[in-house]
Amino acid sequence: MRIVIAEDSVLLLDGLTRLLESEGHEVVGHRSADEAVAVLGRPTGPGNTLPDLLVTDVRMPPTHTDEGLRAAVHLRSLHPTLPVLVLSQYVEQRYASELFAGDVRSLGYLLKDRIADVDELLDAVGRVAGGGTVIDPEVVAQLLARARRPVLERLTAREREVLALMAEGRSNAAIAERLVVGTAAVEKHVTSILTKLELTPGADDHRRVLAVLRYLEHAPHRGDLS
Amino acid sequence: MENTTRAAQAAPASGAVPPPDAPPPVTPPPAAPSSLVSRHTSLGDDLDRVAPALRGGQALILAPWAAATWRSVSQVAIGFFVLLLAGVVALSVVPVFLVLTVLGVGIPLLAGVLAATSPLATLERARLEAQLHVRIPAPAHRRHGSASVWRQFLALLTDGRRWAAIAYAAVALLLVSVEAAVVWAGFGGSLAAVALPVYSTATDLTPAEVTPWVAAGVMGVWVTSWASQALALAHVRLARALLGPGQRGAVDEARAQAAMAQEQAAAAQERVEVAQVRAEHLTETRTRAVGAADTERRRIERDLHDGAQQRLVALGVELGAAKRAAAADPDAARDAIDHAHREVKEVLAELRDLVRGIHPAVLTDRGLDAALSALAARSPVPVEVDVPDADALADCSPAAQAAAYFVAAEALTNAARHADAATVRLVVRTRDDRLRLEVADDGRGGASELPGSGLEGLRGRVEALDGTFDLDSPPGAGTRLVVEVPCAS
Repeated sequence: MRIVIAEDSVLLLDGLTRLLESEGHEVVGHRSADEAVAVLGRPTGPGNTLPDLLVTDVRMPPTHTDEGLRAAVHLRSLHPTLPVLVLSQYVEQRYASELFAGDVRSLGYLLKDRIADVDELLDAVGRVAGGGTVIDPEVVAQLLARARRPVLERLTAREREVLALMAEGRSNAAIAERLVVGTAAVEKHVTSILTKLELTPGADDHRRVLAVLRYLEHAPHRGDLS
Repeated sequence: MENTTRAAQAAPASGAVPPPDAPPPVTPPPAAPSSLVSRHTSLGDDLDRVAPALRGGQALILAPWAAATWRSVSQVAIGFFVLLLAGVVALSVVPVFLVLTVLGVGIPLLAGVLAATSPLATLERARLEAQLHVRIPAPAHRRHGSASVWRQFLALLTDGRRWAAIAYAAVALLLVSVEAAVVWAGFGGSLAAVALPVYSTATDLTPAEVTPWVAAGVMGVWVTSWASQALALAHVRLARALLGPGQRGAVDEARAQAAMAQEQAAAAQERVEVAQVRAEHLTETRTRAVGAADTERRRIERDLHDGAQQRLVALGVELGAAKRAAAADPDAARDAIDHAHREVKEVLAELRDLVRGIHPAVLTDRGLDAALSALAARSPVPVEVDVPDADALADCSPAAQAAAYFVAAEALTNAARHADAATVRLVVRTRDDRLRLEVADDGRGGASELPGSGLEGLRGRVEALDGTFDLDSPPGAGTRLVVEVPCAS
């Protein structure tokens, strides 16, 4: 795969490059979000093809606030099919909702700590490049915490576990593997969850994540906790 | 139990400390009304306006062409008729009425005449202002509002300024008669003398006899000009003395001025006191803010030293051991590396929490609303968040929002760690340019502001922004923390 990385830390850029190259990928590194936007923001044509994946940090020069995130949102609006994996020192639900505001396909948002788990990172890289959605468990935890509402309390503990994994962007098979149960059991839980959350079951996994995210984010959550 | 007493002290502390929101804004002193200051016009001013010729110099020579001269002449022409009427009344009617008063029947008539002095005086002041360009302030007449008719009579009869106006009518009639005589005779005689050569043919006067008459006529024009200016000045001074505020008025005025000066002095004194309280408050809060910052730095140093630093040292040891064992005992090496890997992840998580405790990135990037939502989401105790949206908070400074954030963070930590609370309610409001945060839990209460505690540090932080910090935590009844900071801080 051809992967573009935007990361201002030399150490991390080197480490990621080495790791991904050892997996057989072709890696181009940029030291700032502006640089990446300058290269990737051009219209695509015969002489300029998009990479298979953009990996970007959130905090980058010059202001060291959220350049990477804004660059990711900007590039996705230019190239809706460009797979983007955002790595962040902090995962905040607010950043996630901005990133996932549009099409959630080929989008990922991970805590930088996960890089230490090489397998987890490579799994995320593969899933995002392949059109999947990856959401850090910590973001999901924040979303679920925000959405502590009567309707969620109707879910069983097991169903909430399944919901969290669904929200991370995992398929039924992956959830089954994670929870060490059969796929049929997972499917049963998913149907039950979607029924309880009053969501119409969709055909593919992305729609499912999208639906869950929208529900958790935008459902009223203020003042109706008690 | 020590906690209890400290909490009890802490709760009403906003009364013990100089109330931080007490100092009112410093207002500029009220400007003194100019009418009070410029009421008295000196003789010199009158001289300049009415009789400049008496100052000598060019005005003396140019007197016949001076506007002041002809203004004084016109004044006589109109004033004579006004004062003839008023003076005749004053000189004839008033004595008659006085006699009748002695007989007991003239009081209402006398009162009527005295009441009529007020419009007459107003007319005269207006006339003099229009004709001679001098401004004479009106006296303050005694007033009794809705008092009895008898009292109002009494007020009229005892009002010295009204009697002065009657005296003016009498004296001014005499004066204006003199003025009229001088002006008429002076200018008339002078013109007749100057014109003598024109009609001398009708007489048998020789040129030698005519010449002194002409010279005397020319001289007469000048002398009459000076005299009319001087008489006009006398008229103005008379009017000032009898139609003006009088001595009592001047005393009242001086008194009023003194009272106003006193008021201003008192206001200034008050401002000084406010400034002093404010200075004390600033000194105190500044000391506490510096202290809180020091405490915070020590806490960060300790957290880094005891946590991340120690773990990294252990990690180094672990990796060193793994390196040694790599060749001889690959299984042991793998175990050590596994362990080191877990350590690394824990150090990262710890550093992340630590850094977030210093200042969360999302607060800078997305504001208080996002930061509090994230804080609530991470809290192990369910938190009900009620925060206005980012637009409503946009007027609040980053410092005010940061203060609210750290208060909320500390309160949520305490609720989870010490209070054993089941739910926390967090409400933020903006009103009157102040940001108000309320955090209330249903835990066991008894929270205290021990020296060096997080709560004490927060108080310092809030008060340094001129905010108020109110902790109410009775044992067994939950903890309620209310913080208000000015948005502009």
